[in-house]
Amino acid sequence: MFKKALLALPVAMAVGVAGTAAQAEWQDPNDVLQKLLEAQPDSKYLHQSEMNIMMMPDNPALYLLDDGEELFYKERGPNNVSLEACDFGKGEGVLEGAYVRLPRYFDDVGKVMDFEQRLVHCMKEIQGFTEDDSAVSQRHGSGSDIMRLTTYIAHQSSGYEWDLPLDHPEEQAMRDAGEVLFFRRGGAMDFNCASCHGQSGKQIRASVLPEMRNSQEWTKAVSWPAHRAGQDNVRSQNHRIRGCLWQMRHAGILPDTPVNTALISYWNDAARGEPAILPDLKR
Amino acid sequence: MFNKKMLTAAVVVSASAALAGCDQFFQDASDREVDITQMSPEELAEHLVLESDSFRLDQEVQEGGTGRERMQQDEIQALCSLEGSPDNETAGQVVAAARASYERPDGGVELGDWRRGAELARSGYGYRVGHNNDDHGTREPGANCYACHQMDPAETTYGTIGPSLANYGRERGTDESVLNYVHEVINNPHQYFPCTHMPRFGRNFLTEEQISHVMAYLLHPDSPVNQ
Repeated sequence: MFKKALLALPVAMAVGVAGTAAQAEWQDPNDVLQKLLEAQPDSKYLHQSEMNIMMMPDNPALYLLDDGEELFYKERGPNNVSLEACDFGKGEGVLEGAYVRLPRYFDDVGKVMDFEQRLVHCMKEIQGFTEDDSAVSQRHGSGSDIMRLTTYIAHQSSGYEWDLPLDHPEEQAMRDAGEVLFFRRGGAMDFNCASCHGQSGKQIRASVLPEMRNSQEWTKAVSWPAHRAGQDNVRSQNHRIRGCLWQMRHAGILPDTPVNTALISYWNDAARGEPAILPDLKR
Repeated sequence: MFNKKMLTAAVVVSASAALAGCDQFFQDASDREVDITQMSPEELAEHLVLESDSFRLDQEVQEGGTGRERMQQDEIQALCSLEGSPDNETAGQVVAAARASYERPDGGVELGDWRRGAELARSGYGYRVGHNNDDHGTREPGANCYACHQMDPAETTYGTIGPSLANYGRERGTDESVLNYVHEVINNPHQYFPCTHMPRFGRNFLTEEQISHVMAYLLHPDSPVNQ
């Protein structure tokens, strides 16, 4: 441990020149949550469910980790290879800290991709799955390959601070468009994202809503995958976007599309500097 | 200004040319290559919503038309796409646009059946499309008042995004000026609260009959809202 700290010192200094050093140490998701609860004792959002806080060490999302790990390293698909050749931005097969540094620009595709887009891209390009294979077509539910893989891969970034790169002009462009989309009012009820996430401690019916400008509420808000107790399934960031837009009475959103990527870029940037809870447990 | 802009554009073009293939670009629905770094955030957002195939824009929606029409902003939506409160000029434009489009129902504003209003106030059904579509043929759309407002003081689950409306009618009565005002607010609240997050229920959402029931729930002396 001490040795590790010594080794980390020059790295931290080097990073310090370019900007602030982001948290680069894994933490148990429950420890991350407990620190946020202590930091914001008055946050109605963070403290809304005593039951879920109590359940956190036994978060049902944790049961997906073993399956996800097996799916990641198993030789699968028409090409019979594992996902170890998949580059989530930190090099082939490097998962630690990768999830919180997405979305990002990928040279091999020439565009910004969010996590799910990248995962599906790898499953198609490396393993040879097609759109018709349930391995990639089934996006939602704890029983889906995508959610098992997502939970396993995201867990390797638990406790790391959200730190998506914005150096590439397309990364900045997508993040900035995501901000416009967050405030863009439309649909049959004139809502934007800020209709629900612009004020602190407000409720829709019984749900206390996270405020986007409160980064400690917001890191929990965007910490998907999370087990949703009310749906008894582990859900993704993309599932949250789809559900919000549906309730907002906008048009239906499609998977693997740039509106998802832009919104997630903005979400994750709004949580920048706060540690991610991966996986989380939500109401 | 002009020169600086040209210079920036030239640098970006040469930088992108240096990268392999079409790194700076992605394709839109019509297969034109688009350089997203050359757009303002607002232009890119519009492009993503309407031209990137992110939404099911061809899907039919319950109010008529398609998803595309839903996602194209009207004047009030565009003016109110901002964080926080509008400045005075914007607020004035929004109020003017809202007033210009308001129509009082023929024969004046009347109260309907507060019991039906109670059902509408609790129902969050209607107008949802995408992976799962609300079928108005089997169930009428609701007004979803409780998502944001307290109404009946005995109801324990209510939202707090909007103000409490408990005892709203008891405090105000039901004379013509009250009926007209409440109808105006439900039909298009931007007439009084520019850029409010409350929907315009008179804009292809609730029928005049449904609005009369919700108004009865809010204002009628016998309604639980006023007990």
